[in-house]
Amino acid sequence: MLLTRRNLMQTALTLGAMHAFPGLTWAQARPLVFATFTGSWEEAHKAVLVPAFRKAAGNANIVLDPMLSVDQIAKVNAAKSNPPIDVMLHDPGPALQAIAQDLVEPYPVEQSAYYKDLIPAAQVPMGPAPFFQVVGITYNPETVKTPPTSWADLWKPEFKGRVGITNLNSTLGTGFMVELAKMHGGSEANIDPAFKALEALRPSLAAVAANPGQLATLFQQGQIDISPGNFNAIQILKARGVPVEFVIPKEGAIAFKTTIHIVKNSPNKELAFKLIEAALSPEVQATLMEEPYLIVPTNTKVAIKGELAKTLAKDHAEIAKKFVFQDWGKINEQRAAWIERFNREIRV
Amino acid sequence: MAATLRDVTTYDLKLAAPLAAGFVLFFVTPLVILLALSFQTDPQGGHYGLTQYVNFLGDSFSLGVLGSTLWLGVKVTVLTLLLGYPVAWLHQRSPGWARGLIMLLVLLPLLTSVVVRTFAWVVILGRQGIVNATLSWIGLIDTPLKLLYTEGGVVVALAQVQMPLMVLPIITALSRIDPNFADASSVLGAGHWRTFRKVILPLSLPGIVAGCLLTYAAAITAFITQSLIGGGQMLFMPMYIYQQASTLQNWPFAAAISIVFLVSVLVVVSIFNALGRLSRGYANA
Repeated sequence: MLLTRRNLMQTALTLGAMHAFPGLTWAQARPLVFATFTGSWEEAHKAVLVPAFRKAAGNANIVLDPMLSVDQIAKVNAAKSNPPIDVMLHDPGPALQAIAQDLVEPYPVEQSAYYKDLIPAAQVPMGPAPFFQVVGITYNPETVKTPPTSWADLWKPEFKGRVGITNLNSTLGTGFMVELAKMHGGSEANIDPAFKALEALRPSLAAVAANPGQLATLFQQGQIDISPGNFNAIQILKARGVPVEFVIPKEGAIAFKTTIHIVKNSPNKELAFKLIEAALSPEVQATLMEEPYLIVPTNTKVAIKGELAKTLAKDHAEIAKKFVFQDWGKINEQRAAWIERFNREIRV
Repeated sequence: MAATLRDVTTYDLKLAAPLAAGFVLFFVTPLVILLALSFQTDPQGGHYGLTQYVNFLGDSFSLGVLGSTLWLGVKVTVLTLLLGYPVAWLHQRSPGWARGLIMLLVLLPLLTSVVVRTFAWVVILGRQGIVNATLSWIGLIDTPLKLLYTEGGVVVALAQVQMPLMVLPIITALSRIDPNFADASSVLGAGHWRTFRKVILPLSLPGIVAGCLLTYAAAITAFITQSLIGGGQMLFMPMYIYQQASTLQNWPFAAAISIVFLVSVLVVVSIFNALGRLSRGYANA
């Protein structure tokens, strides 16, 4: 065959197009796409969950595409009939949004081997919770000599100009505000007391971080000495040698269940189910509970041990007692208004 | 022979077709969708109207955010110009080897990511950062100054991060100026300062305008630097848009803010452009 310039061009263009739009050549299967969270979650899932899934699913292909909950929702929303993600991971607020926007499948509970072993709070029919996130008080033990015992300690005069918080864009920031409201006689439906308490906290604030990840940087830089903080985020800092400690205040730790969902219209529902099963299994949860991950398990078959038993709770009964779960259905109703108000009142 | 000669001064527009097609597909279309979205009255869709615009333009807080963002851009641009012009000038006046070095130093920041450069500023401005450590070592301060999470910090960090955008156009403009002009000016009795003010500065105006335009546009849209150095207590337009679109999933309002922001920036840009045209006339006069 004679290779004309035109011929060559056509071949090149076709190959290029196939490369640019891989969907053309993938008439059949694409790998399972799991949108996990960024940072330590991705590391943990890559190291423990993915191998367990591949073993259970006959070496099926899987891709981790880490991003924030809200970005997962935006991505799936933009292509509902052919979603680019098969399995989503959500904080409680976004989870309810995803369910309300009809983006997720109910979890096939009857087929699940592990669902019934989860603690009651983790049994969510629209997507069970494979782990919890726990928020307590984080402090620098080199500058804070007496460990704090209550959220109220943040208002102590000795912490003037040393306190860090985050804004309400994050689950952590919003959860903290709800806790403040509850301490001062409010609730998920009545946030007013929290804003009053925040006003009183203003002279103490060294920083209002734009996201929880920044709090870690601020501890590292000595910019703040005390703040509400996520247990798992603190472990990473500690492992890097930053002087930080985590305590559960006497009011209880703010706990978020992180739920995992099969995306509606996913072409990989079978595999998605297998991945979630792996995430709920006692083997995976027990491994994730160990150093360096220290992720709080939800499967009651996993006995709590090690660092978790020391700092958080010794068994599932104590978890139920010490962890405060908030009503995110109520929170979501007014969250936009709160963020608006926070924008206005906290702005310098 | 009546063969028509090909006109070499005009080009076939077809050559620009791929770029134009890409532009329409990936820029104009999303922009039209954005515009349509901004007229939805609620996130669920259905009704169309001006509600979102009324909400934004009738709200002093939102207008304040817009105003402070545009004003931030002005401050950053002025500071970048004051710091960048001498660098460009030095580059022009240096021997060959030093020019290469200065150019490398100017370009170096562009070779690292904005995130890295911004984190460096977190370290510099922090309580135990370089600035505070030096000041307390000299004995000028007892307690560390608050530099991070202040507007001053944002302006300084942005000025450094965007510096190449200012310096490069000015270097180009300065290198086009015939060195004989400066010599002629001094022969005619003008001192260094007068020569600079009356000859060099006007001739380099096109470069200044181009540099200001680039710096301004980059500074007001710098989401990463604004949020990392500014923190959660300072709200600028990019963060406001992100908050509405992502956290609150209120796409119509986010779209409306984006359009308002786009239009305001276009207004500022056209002012710069008008200045640019004036300056060209000035330079050629």
